[in-house]
Amino acid sequence: MNGPQLSAPLLGRILGTEDAMPTVFWFLVEQGQSVQLDDLVVARTTKPGGQEVSFYGLIDSVRKRHEGVTFESDVVDVASGVLPALVSYTARVLVTRVDPEQFVPPQPGDSVYHARGHDLKMALSADKMEAAAFPGGLLSDGQTLPINYNFVNGKSGGHINISGISGVATKTSYALFLLHSIFTSGVMGLDAADTRAVIFNVKGEDLLFLNRPNNRVVQKERDAQSAKGYPRDRYALMGLPQQAFQDVQFLTPPRGGVAGIMPDVERASGTVPYLFTVREFCARRMLPFAFSDRNASLNLGFVIGSIEDKLERLSRSGDTPYITVRDWKPDAEAQEALNEDIQFEDLDSVRIDTLSKLIAYVEFKLLEENDGSGDPKWTGRNPSTATLQAFVRRLRGVQKHLGPLIRGDISRQQAERYSPNLTNPAYRLSVVDIHRLSGPAQMFVVGVMLRDLFEYRERTAGKGVIFVVLDELNKYAPREGDSPIKDVLLDIAERGRSLGIILIGAQQTASEVERRIVSNAAIRVVGRLDMAEAERPEYRFLPQSFRARAGILQPGTMLVSQPDVPNPVLINYPFPAWATRFEEVQEEVSEANIQDLFGL
Amino acid sequence: MRIRLDPWPIDTQGGQLSLTPFESGELIDVETPRWAAIAPRDVPKRLETVYVVDGKPRMEARLLIEDDEGSSSFAGYGAFVVGAVKLCPHGSRPAELEDVRASRILAHGPGLSVQAARLSPRHPQTGALEYTPSGFQDDQPTAPAAHLQQLMLRAEQELSHGLASRVPFDEDDDRERLTSLTIQDGTLRGRNMGGAVVGCVKTMQTMYLPPDRISLLSELKPGERTPILHLKYGNNRVTRFTWYVRLCEAPAYLHPLAGVMRLEMYAPEESDFLPPIVRAVASLSGRLLCRLGSAAHKDSRAPQNLIPTAALEQAMSRSMGDARLVERRIRTHIMREMNVPAEDLRGAAWSLN
Repeated sequence: MNGPQLSAPLLGRILGTEDAMPTVFWFLVEQGQSVQLDDLVVARTTKPGGQEVSFYGLIDSVRKRHEGVTFESDVVDVASGVLPALVSYTARVLVTRVDPEQFVPPQPGDSVYHARGHDLKMALSADKMEAAAFPGGLLSDGQTLPINYNFVNGKSGGHINISGISGVATKTSYALFLLHSIFTSGVMGLDAADTRAVIFNVKGEDLLFLNRPNNRVVQKERDAQSAKGYPRDRYALMGLPQQAFQDVQFLTPPRGGVAGIMPDVERASGTVPYLFTVREFCARRMLPFAFSDRNASLNLGFVIGSIEDKLERLSRSGDTPYITVRDWKPDAEAQEALNEDIQFEDLDSVRIDTLSKLIAYVEFKLLEENDGSGDPKWTGRNPSTATLQAFVRRLRGVQKHLGPLIRGDISRQQAERYSPNLTNPAYRLSVVDIHRLSGPAQMFVVGVMLRDLFEYRERTAGKGVIFVVLDELNKYAPREGDSPIKDVLLDIAERGRSLGIILIGAQQTASEVERRIVSNAAIRVVGRLDMAEAERPEYRFLPQSFRARAGILQPGTMLVSQPDVPNPVLINYPFPAWATRFEEVQEEVSEANIQDLFGL
Repeated sequence: MRIRLDPWPIDTQGGQLSLTPFESGELIDVETPRWAAIAPRDVPKRLETVYVVDGKPRMEARLLIEDDEGSSSFAGYGAFVVGAVKLCPHGSRPAELEDVRASRILAHGPGLSVQAARLSPRHPQTGALEYTPSGFQDDQPTAPAAHLQQLMLRAEQELSHGLASRVPFDEDDDRERLTSLTIQDGTLRGRNMGGAVVGCVKTMQTMYLPPDRISLLSELKPGERTPILHLKYGNNRVTRFTWYVRLCEAPAYLHPLAGVMRLEMYAPEESDFLPPIVRAVASLSGRLLCRLGSAAHKDSRAPQNLIPTAALEQAMSRSMGDARLVERRIRTHIMREMNVPAEDLRGAAWSLN
């Protein structure tokens, strides 16, 4: 079993001047050898009975000092060649695994080797993962870090949480790399056909080119390969293809204030607008998602619930994108206020085909009918007119945000075409763009779509999983307060893994996210952190030395913690093979381009 | 009233205050009859290596040995170590320890058949101790220690001379150039062995100079030296070149000779020839020793106890191992040799711990 390792060069010997313990020990680095933080090593000791015990671990501290000199100023004499001194080069190892599980201390003088081959598998518990291992990045020495897919897909655990400062922590990049690795490494096996991913794009138009090759990746990877001295590029080292995402649909909100339905992005090619019909809004009970702060008043929550019911009832008759009502005759004043022409289908029927009309109708039913006392069926036993007024006022407040998204003035074919379908079998990856939407509209879209996904999986729990990538979790599921979208996210965090919905959530500061969401993530990843943030209890899974390191991590470097390995591991991951902005889109060498080039 | 401090630590025997006058010997001006300070010269480029050599003995256990034929003698387990610090006088290389390794000796009296002893440790990582038998002639209680000292000195001499350039004591022979020099701690012992070896006498106990010349010593500036003298003593059995060097400015509160060191090199019996190498060594000795001299807050014997010497002493002590641990191993070893059952042995070892 240990055959191949015996020929490996000796890396060092365990110190006798520091405590050697089953969980942590120091070793002296042999002359001519070099170790760095995060290197994985193995030390072996022999028990008095002859049994060999192996200690696998990673280096979390390295130091050099002059040995045998007493005074700090002696360094001058050493450097000027007068005082002989040795440089002692030592490293501290945090033990991640003891095999067999006998927690005896190693013996000072025991040999330490780099963990490679079988030892590396043992150190990272890859032997427990077997076929469930997929590449999660590269260790400092260029070996692949395996991540246990069973802790991602919900079988043994689920959800991934990524923390880090925006911009330098590259949370989304790493989430995308993980998706790429899951999709292309073959780890999904038979579930591959049923596995989807949904990404909410919150920043710029960064994610709208994921299906196009990146024109910088070849050079970047070549640079990284030579800088780190790897034998091959990082994709090849991990056995992953260097390619863009396949089968991607891009959904963007429609542009407001224009006739027709156009995607609200600068570079629209390949993107499809998404919207919801007025009837869907009512039938699928989307009203609560229009209120991001349901807790503002208890009574308001009660009103929302009851109006939601009434709207749902209204939507039952018919299947047009709009709904019609017969008990409402908007007066001239209201018409003017709406500044839109209300169409009368016949004498006593009004077509409600915009959100503003729907709100006007709700206002009529609550506050205007019966000389201002409202329809008793709608107002019910509601406490006060003030509450109802507050409800309408808030609804009016979100109207302009949601107006372009909730439409009834379209044909049935249009409604079908622009209805977002995140589970379309033709697409493996759906990018939902919300970056141009205002806060309330973002909340609305994310909330509605996640709930739909959740209900879809509840109905049709199949094989495979749906990954949901969502940045800025602290906005959607803040630690304080309550909101419908937080409920959905909590549902996903707590029940999602049994239904096959896996949340790949990211945030700048885990301390500001609902605890139950972060704590349900089996895989936790940390990029660059603010030093003060790193000391918060949410990061206790990082040993102290790692928390200090988290403050200096560079883009492309992450600390990954997974249940199989008791200590986090530092990895770097390759430059995206897919374009992450328009400038990176590789020019396609088509006939037309060549003709352009030569002015033909 | 005028009070001056002795520069040496309080537990140093004799100290600097008591200087025995030199009576039974002969002192000849070999360099110049003019008794005045000589300015230091730079260390020449061709002198690339300076070795600082020292040695250290240690008795680890006094024994009484009885061999299988029934003869017995005083004996001892002992260790000695000699070593060198190899350094570049121009500071272009890091100083290195060279050959600092302890030798372990089972010193025994005459006519005994003694086998080498191998003392195995409790933990294999801590290494075995091997004592090589070495016989001596006297059969006295102090003989083992004296024998060990002799072995150490012999090894030290061999090391010193093996490393240094040769000194040609022939006026016509100037082929050898000074490329490597050995500084040996203490006075030179034994006969001339031909190497460019300088002995540094840290504590002056005998004042070789006549009273009218002593005042120059306190007037020397750091790095300056006296002219070289040819010294004969012990009924002309021992001949040396010698000179004095000041290593540092003595603070006013110290004895005026603080910081002054006497150096010596081997000399031929005839006092009419000063080999150029000796003169070269004397001229560079001031600069060199000022560089190697220690600072008072780091070493109570500063500046005479040179920085490399202090480091060497430390390394030598370390290479012999902890005396108490060695003693413990010796006891366990003897118990084992007496065929004490394993369980009792373990008990004994623990209790000895």
